[in-house]
Amino acid sequence: MSGERFVIPIGPQHPALKEPSHFEIFVDGEQVTGATLRLGYVHRGIEKGAEQRTWTQNLYLMERICGICSHVHALAFAQGVEALAGVQAPPRARAIRQVIAELERLHSHLLWLGVAAHEAGFDALFMYSWRDREVVMDLLELVSGNRVNYSANLLGGVKFDITAEQKVRILDGLNFIEERVHYYLGVVNTDETFLGRTRGVGLLSREEAERLGAVGPTARASGVTRDVRVDAPYAAYSEFPVKMVVSQQGDLQARFVVRLDECFESIRVIREILNNMPESELVVRMPRRIPAGEVVSRVEAPRGELFYFIVSGGGDKPERVKVRTPSLANWGTVLATAPGHKLADIPMLVAGIDPCFSCNDR
Amino acid sequence: MNQEGTQDALLKQALDVIRPWVKEEHNPQPNRLDVVIGREDLLAVVEALKNARWGYLSAITGLDRPSTPPPESVENQEGTIEVLYHFCEKDKVLTLRVSVPYNDASLPSICNILPSATLFERELSEMFGISIIGTPDPSRLLLPDSWPSGVYPLRKSFSGFSEVTEAQK
Repeated sequence: MSGERFVIPIGPQHPALKEPSHFEIFVDGEQVTGATLRLGYVHRGIEKGAEQRTWTQNLYLMERICGICSHVHALAFAQGVEALAGVQAPPRARAIRQVIAELERLHSHLLWLGVAAHEAGFDALFMYSWRDREVVMDLLELVSGNRVNYSANLLGGVKFDITAEQKVRILDGLNFIEERVHYYLGVVNTDETFLGRTRGVGLLSREEAERLGAVGPTARASGVTRDVRVDAPYAAYSEFPVKMVVSQQGDLQARFVVRLDECFESIRVIREILNNMPESELVVRMPRRIPAGEVVSRVEAPRGELFYFIVSGGGDKPERVKVRTPSLANWGTVLATAPGHKLADIPMLVAGIDPCFSCNDR
Repeated sequence: MNQEGTQDALLKQALDVIRPWVKEEHNPQPNRLDVVIGREDLLAVVEALKNARWGYLSAITGLDRPSTPPPESVENQEGTIEVLYHFCEKDKVLTLRVSVPYNDASLPSICNILPSATLFERELSEMFGISIIGTPDPSRLLLPDSWPSGVYPLRKSFSGFSEVTEAQK
């Protein structure tokens, strides 16, 4: 049989992932020899839709690109439009934006931990991490009133304040999450069965990660020092900086460790902001018509660099909104590392980049 | 302040690498440099950036620039598609701007130099109708199988299908 190509089509509806995508996996026996990818099953034409909506309407549209990292989409858009208008959000608004962004990162990383554990067949870890993620969801609901699309941003600031009472509840919740993440870090580093699925699997060298254009935790787990929060601070990241978490190991285990270590960093920075919250207005006035121009707006989503390119023709609607999401940049690493692995490792490799299909497709 | 000095140096460094091919340059934002280059120079410029290890390809953006409002457009109207290759290094963004006319909308693939470009090129080609010569996988990435050929959704002239066509499907 060797030499002949056997193709296993998977998806768009399939048991492993919760979102639709189509793969063709080429195998020789159990060995994967290649893979192709087809996206678009949840393509909604959001970039086109943006051209027919006003700046304010688009803020809500962008937030709906993704149900996991909704806040960063709205944040990238709002910051881009503010830059076009020559307006800067007030300090307290920027600090609140950062708190929400880091809470979102916490819930996203915990969600991912569960999904990845499930792909590894470790369903107890999946259920525990999702139970704990509820704590973060409750905190987000507490401050914003919403569990998923928090709708925190306005063009020119944020919609709500974080009160002293809410601060106490958030700090309590963070203590609990911190303890749990410590526990999970122990599990992913010591559980032999689990390590069998992650250690040395999906090895991606630093050179390869750079060559394939990886971003976010996927890149940082391979030693690539790339994090928009550090490289090009936005929101309040210059006042409340975060440390970049990097590992040189490059395998799936490293992707677990990097994401869990990032949780500690998020918790630390949220505490720091809440204890030193700047006093100011929450919103500044924005012009209804945005001056003509082009702007690049980059933020670090939980999955990596999120890139917005916004063109204004001077009207009340954008000429063009281009969104390049981190998952799209990371796919190359999966397709390149797949050959040589067993078919059974593919779901883990896919889960390793924490793919978001709604983001890919837009 | 010191920090700013070194960062401006980054953009200057990029410009030095690609200067022979640059036709125009702009600084739309303090951290950005936009350069206009010809389509025939694209590969040389990308190669030069790669050899200088300046930045990484962050995104490819297409912009439709119809010459007149779409409704009156005649077959041979010289509208252009502008393609933007964004490279990022730290907080700096270098954008290569290449324009191609509607009636000859093709670009060479940069995948031989930067393999990461493959998905970006496929998206660009479907959404704007630019044929990417030599791209490793030209198959559809996002649009459905039933999508009619020759219809490019992100061109300004596309404003959705009529209800009749929708019903026929």
